[in-house]
Amino acid sequence: MRRNVDLGVLYSTTGTYAAISRAVSRGTLAGIDEVNADVSNPIRFSPVIRDPGGEIGRYAPLCDDILANSGARHIFGCVTSSSRKEVIPTLDRTHAMLWYNLPFEGFETSNRVIYTHACANQHLLPLLSWCFGNFGAAPYLIGSNYIWGWETCRVARTRTDEAGGHVLGERYLPLGQQDVATLIAEIESLRPRFILNSLVGASSYAFLRAYAELGRRDPHFRPEQCPVVSCNLTEAELPLLGEAAEGLVSVGPHFCPYLSPEGRNSSFEDISRQSVHTLAAMLAAQGEQPFESFIAEQGAHFGIDPATHYSTLSVDVAQVRQGVFEVLHHWPEVAPDPYLTRPKRHPGIAAPRLSIVSS
Amino acid sequence: MTNQMHIPNLDQACAVVLHPVPDQVATLIRQIKAIGLTVSHAWPDLPASSITADFIFYDTDMGHDDQFPWEPGKAPMPMIALVGAEAPGRIEWAARMGADALLLKPVGSSGAFSALLMARHSFERRQSLNGEIKQLRHRMSARQTVVQAVALLSAHGKSQDAAYDQLRQMAMAWRINVEDAALRIVENANDEGNLRDCN
Repeated sequence: MRRNVDLGVLYSTTGTYAAISRAVSRGTLAGIDEVNADVSNPIRFSPVIRDPGGEIGRYAPLCDDILANSGARHIFGCVTSSSRKEVIPTLDRTHAMLWYNLPFEGFETSNRVIYTHACANQHLLPLLSWCFGNFGAAPYLIGSNYIWGWETCRVARTRTDEAGGHVLGERYLPLGQQDVATLIAEIESLRPRFILNSLVGASSYAFLRAYAELGRRDPHFRPEQCPVVSCNLTEAELPLLGEAAEGLVSVGPHFCPYLSPEGRNSSFEDISRQSVHTLAAMLAAQGEQPFESFIAEQGAHFGIDPATHYSTLSVDVAQVRQGVFEVLHHWPEVAPDPYLTRPKRHPGIAAPRLSIVSS
Repeated sequence: MTNQMHIPNLDQACAVVLHPVPDQVATLIRQIKAIGLTVSHAWPDLPASSITADFIFYDTDMGHDDQFPWEPGKAPMPMIALVGAEAPGRIEWAARMGADALLLKPVGSSGAFSALLMARHSFERRQSLNGEIKQLRHRMSARQTVVQAVALLSAHGKSQDAAYDQLRQMAMAWRINVEDAALRIVENANDEGNLRDCN
């Protein structure tokens, strides 16, 4: 007899980051279908879907709604960090769990959240060390004007300083802004060695198209000379970029090795899908124990670090070549360090850092 | 001190949580471990070994001076007060013990990281200001010595300006600061009753 389990799904499928939402949402639903199709699986999921439509104020009420009006104790949801922060108080109150399946800046280890994708030591730090080694420590930093952009640029700035390099410029665009002419003009005159792009959505697409155009005008700005690198670009957004995606560098736990239609098979989608399977396996083994203490004791068997609720992941730096991400560097297993306080977990950063620990 | 707050290497750093009810600080202890520190719990007294800890979290509801193996305000590491009752007397005590940061109870699943960074920042700033104050005090107390040395050097008919200039040149030659040079001159004069060794 299979046990039926309600599973909350809380993604905005409209708004400026819709392509990313669709990827995680698609992965979650695919995972549910796979679990349900497997007759030997003791768990069957019934999705309880709510769509906040990209409105930050609707996340907490809809999270409440899922938990109050269904049997769901687990929710797959949230794309932005701000939406995740909105639902955590509800989760704390109701002892429900959020599965957050996207890379983000870290600096958070809620007991009520499972962070299945990469944190900064699994995306930004390896990407920077690769860039410093291949292009030199003279980046230009751009980001959308919110916490993801700020923190990514901030870490990049301190790492650049530590590497003895120099940040040539740092600019933030309001979410959704597509006027990038000033930005492009500044980059053209400063001539950095690489550009770290933490813009999201429409701003990012506008910038990348304008930068590809700049590269056609001036060979210094071609990918082999001065690439645009990013911690959050995946297959999911390639269709929106078309030709402008060529040469972009990204970092992630894995990339799809073949041309995937409609932006399918990104790590966002894939990790969401796998997480549904992980949850099914955990629910089957959980018994009567509260999920919180079950993770503390057994989380490691399911790939979840009990101390942080993050995962050990592989890390690939890859470049878009003819529409497909080609892996240029691979680190096999990188343990999570969400607060960036453990240099031993920082891949590719060889130089010792100042320590307050007297040994 | 720079304005930039560097994330410290906290791998193998250790914290002690001084609190009467371990269950009430379970989420705090989880946070501290997630950040990468090792953590131990103590109550009612901080063991002497705590002197090597990198951070102390201490309860202000039930806390008192005798729990600590050092004088109030003399903790050799950053201290974070765990505040329950916001009674002014308790905040005053937290401050007197040398709180570098506060965390309000009940502690949920966040707050420890900001408290650690803030506490370390305040602690280091206080250390460096204390060092600076000590140095300035030393220089101030040496002012009289400088006046004496200038008086000694100008005893042979030199103007005060010329004597001070000579003092500065002697300090440079000896590679010490003016205050220490003045002290040397005054001591020499006291020992030998003249300035011959200095010239």
